[in-house]
Amino acid sequence: MANPNDATPQVRDNGRAPKSAKSTKSTGTQSKGVRQSMSDLHTWAGLLVGWLLYAMFLTGTVSYFKEEISQWMRPELAHQQQVPDPAAVSQRVATTLATLADGTTQWSVQLPTARSNLASAFWRTPPGSAQKGMFQEGVFDPATGHAVTARDTLGGEFFYRFHFQFYYMPVMWGRWLAGLCAMFMLVAIVSGVITHKKIFVDFFTFRWGKGQRSWLDAHNALSVFGLPFHLMITYTGLVTLMTMYMPWAGEVALKSAAQRQEVAAQLNAFIRPGKRQGVAAPLANVDRMVREAQARWGENNVLRVTVTNPGDASARVAVSRGEALRVSVSPQYLLFDGVSGKLLETHDHVGGAAETRGVLYALHMGRFGDLPARWLYFIVSLAGTAMVGTGLVMWTVKRRQKLPDPMRPYFGFRLVERLNIASIAGLSIAMTGYLWSNRLLPVALPHRADTEINAFFAIWAATLLYALVRPAKRAWIELLWLAAALLALLPVLNALTTQRPFWRSVAQGDFVFAGFDLMMWALAALHAALAWRTATHRPREKAAGKRATATLPQEEEA
Amino acid sequence: MSAALAQVRRVAPLVSRIVAAIVGGYALAALTSVAALALPIAAPQGVITGMLASFVVYTCVVIGVFLARSARRAWGGLLIAAVPLLLASWSVWTSAGGAK
Amino acid sequence: MVGLTLGLCVMAFAFLALGMERHQQAVLGRALDAGRTRGFRIAGWCALVITLRMIVGEAGWAMGLVYYAGCTSLAAGIVYGAILWRQRARA
Repeated sequence: MANPNDATPQVRDNGRAPKSAKSTKSTGTQSKGVRQSMSDLHTWAGLLVGWLLYAMFLTGTVSYFKEEISQWMRPELAHQQQVPDPAAVSQRVATTLATLADGTTQWSVQLPTARSNLASAFWRTPPGSAQKGMFQEGVFDPATGHAVTARDTLGGEFFYRFHFQFYYMPVMWGRWLAGLCAMFMLVAIVSGVITHKKIFVDFFTFRWGKGQRSWLDAHNALSVFGLPFHLMITYTGLVTLMTMYMPWAGEVALKSAAQRQEVAAQLNAFIRPGKRQGVAAPLANVDRMVREAQARWGENNVLRVTVTNPGDASARVAVSRGEALRVSVSPQYLLFDGVSGKLLETHDHVGGAAETRGVLYALHMGRFGDLPARWLYFIVSLAGTAMVGTGLVMWTVKRRQKLPDPMRPYFGFRLVERLNIASIAGLSIAMTGYLWSNRLLPVALPHRADTEINAFFAIWAATLLYALVRPAKRAWIELLWLAAALLALLPVLNALTTQRPFWRSVAQGDFVFAGFDLMMWALAALHAALAWRTATHRPREKAAGKRATATLPQEEEA
Repeated sequence: MSAALAQVRRVAPLVSRIVAAIVGGYALAALTSVAALALPIAAPQGVITGMLASFVVYTCVVIGVFLARSARRAWGGLLIAAVPLLLASWSVWTSAGGAK
Repeated sequence: MVGLTLGLCVMAFAFLALGMERHQQAVLGRALDAGRTRGFRIAGWCALVITLRMIVGEAGWAMGLVYYAGCTSLAAGIVYGAILWRQRARA
């Protein structure tokens, strides 16, 4: 892509990234051509946020199984043979929250499903309480309604939250950053498609083992196979947080609280606490309300119970419909009077634009799907992750061929190379390390959930350090082998530290735990294959007329 | 000194495009989201439609800025596209303010 | 149902692949005549359309399109990988 003359500014190695080479090209007086400019745009859009995008993609991919991961991370909770009755569970949790969240103006509980074996709830921090933050959260045993007695962990939710708001930063910053990355990705997709006019011919072309071209073709193939998915997932990702990214229509046109509420009601069932009457009145039994909802939607098709102003005469209860096989998250809920239990309103449809947004949101989350649909999501999403990864690696492979001195690459190249290693191989190690910490940390450790998360980041940082001190190729190979080993040994660790080894899970028909172990071995094999291929890879192609053959063996050690 | 100036002159069009793409793109996307309320649909639906459309507009603007033959043309295109959006947004703003 | 859809999509993409000379060479070792080539292409596209009709009929438009999108993506990858493997085996 770059012409040999661009080597000159790079050799000076004055710490400037290749941007200077690009600007020399792009500000030339003649037009660059559509494909070239789109190719540059694609490369830069991808490279600037590629490492974050890879992390978002991988954590997003595993999040399609976040409940199963959470189950695995709470091995004390028995395998759920069947979904407990939503009505009974809601009543139990309501009783617990009456004391635990005493004084709160709102609580909301998500009921167990076929995938999730606990009830999770959040509530507004009661006024005057010493607790920090606007909301508190907790997980509860569906059988008793009491706080879950398993080890304290965030479970699969950590990967899910990291996916769109990262960590160690205010939630809003994280979401803005994720949105920025998503916009860059959208631009990368569109520019990538424009660059490859013959995208469907290129699609079926894969020249094996020829160095630079085969990386390009792998990247192309992964991009093209999943193009509908990648386009959909990126755009819908932006849609999920669109009220934050583009609030301007609301700022301009919605002046009163009632107007804002009208729009909010089109988007979610998160009813707001109304004005308290100051008259104490016990909350009616929520299980009766849930039964009404079950009669309407199906026995296991009730997802959430939200209560406002519990204990006051102005209490309201919203019971929301379940997600199964419904390709939309647009709110469908029954609104009850919290004291009398009478059905006040039925919300079962929204306007056209709101329904469109509901469908788009649901497509991103993939929660409507049955198991085959979710596996499809997982596999295609994994391919998307590989697409981002191959793109990042391809950049270094292409640039390496053009290095005037392969032993001393310029700063930008070295930066990209090392970040690639840490972001790709390192992330696998960190994520597996998170699971390892779940089994190794003492159960009674204070702030245990936070410690698991800190372990994740500490391990990730360690892989970056490792990538900085080792020669690049050795770092790749060693870290990939390490990931493979950690993944393969995780089921062994599980067998040693819990009562749920693989053979028992299989015998009991516990597909969650058994499937998890199998998945770890499959991923271990994948990483081992990558490590092996990297180790045995010998670049066969010589860069045209640039370097003598003698430099090739040196290049491999770089 | 003149070498530095020459360097700035080389980079300026690229920087200009980047600003046009990132900032100008967001501006046009935001304007689109407001302008959507000028459509003959209920206000809540208009608000949502505007948001949904904004990301498409943002992407198109970024692509367009880098397809333009020069940075100047890129900005020109932005301003031309902004005019109808500004007009529509203005009418939305005044009518919303007037409705109070 | 999803399995059947996936299988049909794999078949469809295999046909489409065999409608290209490059892959005829890779898989069969020789190029086919124009008639057979076109035949494969038509068969491939027909299979894709029929599969779409089938899955939407079974699962409705919403779920049907989701399954279809997933199956076509995955099937394309499978056929791709198979051609690759065959190429390596021959080389």
